[in-house]
Amino acid sequence: MAIIEVSNLKKSYGNLDVLKQITFEVNKKDVVAVIGPSGSGKSTMLRSLVHLEEIDGGSIRVADDYLVKDGVYSKPQDLKKITSRMGMVFQHFNLFPHLTVTENLEVAPRMLKRESPVAIRHRSTELLKKIGLTNRADAYPANLSGGQKQRVAIARALMLNPEILLFDEPTSALDPELTGEVLKVMKDLAEEHMTMVIVTHEMGFAKDVANRVLFMDNGQIIESGHPDDLLTNPQHDRTRAFLNRSFN
Amino acid sequence: MKQNRISFGNPVLFVEEQFMSADYFKTIIVPMLQGAETTILLFLIAIAVSIPLGFLLTLAVRSKFKPLSLLCQGYIHLMRGTPLLLQLLFICFGLPLIPGIGQYLVLDRFVAAALGFTLNYAAYFAEIFRGGLLAIDKGQYEASKVLGLSRWQTTRKIILPQMFRIALPAVANESVTLVKDTALLYAVAVPELLHFAETAVNRDFTIMPFFYAGVIYLIITFVLSMFFRWLERRFKFE
Ligand SMILES: Nc1ncnc2c1ncn2[C@@H]1O[C@H](COP(=O)(O)OP(=O)(O)OP(=O)(O)O)[C@@H](O)[C@H]1O
Ligand SMILES: [Mg+2]
Repeated sequence: MAIIEVSNLKKSYGNLDVLKQITFEVNKKDVVAVIGPSGSGKSTMLRSLVHLEEIDGGSIRVADDYLVKDGVYSKPQDLKKITSRMGMVFQHFNLFPHLTVTENLEVAPRMLKRESPVAIRHRSTELLKKIGLTNRADAYPANLSGGQKQRVAIARALMLNPEILLFDEPTSALDPELTGEVLKVMKDLAEEHMTMVIVTHEMGFAKDVANRVLFMDNGQIIESGHPDDLLTNPQHDRTRAFLNRSFN
Repeated sequence: MKQNRISFGNPVLFVEEQFMSADYFKTIIVPMLQGAETTILLFLIAIAVSIPLGFLLTLAVRSKFKPLSLLCQGYIHLMRGTPLLLQLLFICFGLPLIPGIGQYLVLDRFVAAALGFTLNYAAYFAEIFRGGLLAIDKGQYEASKVLGLSRWQTTRKIILPQMFRIALPAVANESVTLVKDTALLYAVAVPELLHFAETAVNRDFTIMPFFYAGVIYLIITFVLSMFFRWLERRFKFE
């Protein structure tokens, strides 16, 4: 069974239909790359999954529970439990500027009190090692490079042991020479079979790491498929036009 | 006492050797320091009460309960839109004139003034804190939500610390203004630093007490500025 199932998702701002009947699935261990032109609704789709956007119709199922079923949201007390299966990494990192790297990692688990402080510290130490920032544990975000900030943001999301990680253009705010270190961390996660949905403009990365690509345009999924097929041999004119522009 | 008086049509102020002397300084500095004590006491009371009160006002303005929000917005506008001097005069001399209940509203002058300063400055601090909240990126709320923090946890752990940090320079500025505004006590006849200086100037025909008063104000505002600098460095988050 798919771990995420989205069907007929609808969302509009006033009379602007941003998402029109979106339907797709994400299986465990999938790495799904979502591509498409600016304004096509990629962020809105991703944000709907973690309830940062309220949708107007359709269903979102995560594992065994429906976040929304036929446009009706679950009880407020259940929403948090359902979305807690997912972690999210933002384009602009959204680290907490008043907390050190370690504190950024630990603030949520400590407040949620599901683990002991010792276990939390153990995890944050492990994750810092994993992203190669052990020596920056006590630094504030202001003193990190963009690439370092994004790696910390990924570690922060991982602290809560999510089953699925969502990325919204994780490298778009970075200088080109810093994207590599972030993509490396994401690639490592893919190799550990983390389930990921990644909105990205990095076609090379999508081709390398994703096992499925969704092309969105104008609030719809135009086509989806294995990157080797979709990126090299697209079936739709709009996909072709977009890829031609992207690869120049 | 032999004095050279040169009149320019105004009260004559004349600096003479005797008023520069250590003896004169000693006789005059004691009452002036007592005045400074009143000044500082008023400052401490006003700052200690108006900052928390201002913070509560900020929360009330953001409240989803519209009547409360509108009431507090109106209050803030009233306090910032009229002179502090008028507010002080109203509390000290206006309230007791209200028919029927006025006789119960005769407050000790210092208490009345402290009340006036607190009510007035709370409105300014509320505006400063509101600005601090507006400066916080909505990504901070979104990250907190995705990490599973409740609204209250987000407010307490993520938003308020940033708000206070952002507001700090403006709070420092407002506090220095408050020190200087304590001179308005003069208008409601509470003897404070400036009052003692002026009394001495008029009595002794010397300008020196004004200098001493100026220096005392400078020392107070300097210490205060240093304190806020320290706070800003302490919470630099870099
Ligand atoms: N809060 C909002 N109010 C009104 N319209 C919005 C809002 N948020 C997004 N939109 C509109 O919804 C559409 C989809 O936006 P979205 O951010 O999902 O696109 P995107 O595919 O992520 O684009 P980009 O590649 O630029 O990030 C756009 O036309 C955008 O202008
Ligand atoms: Mg986007």
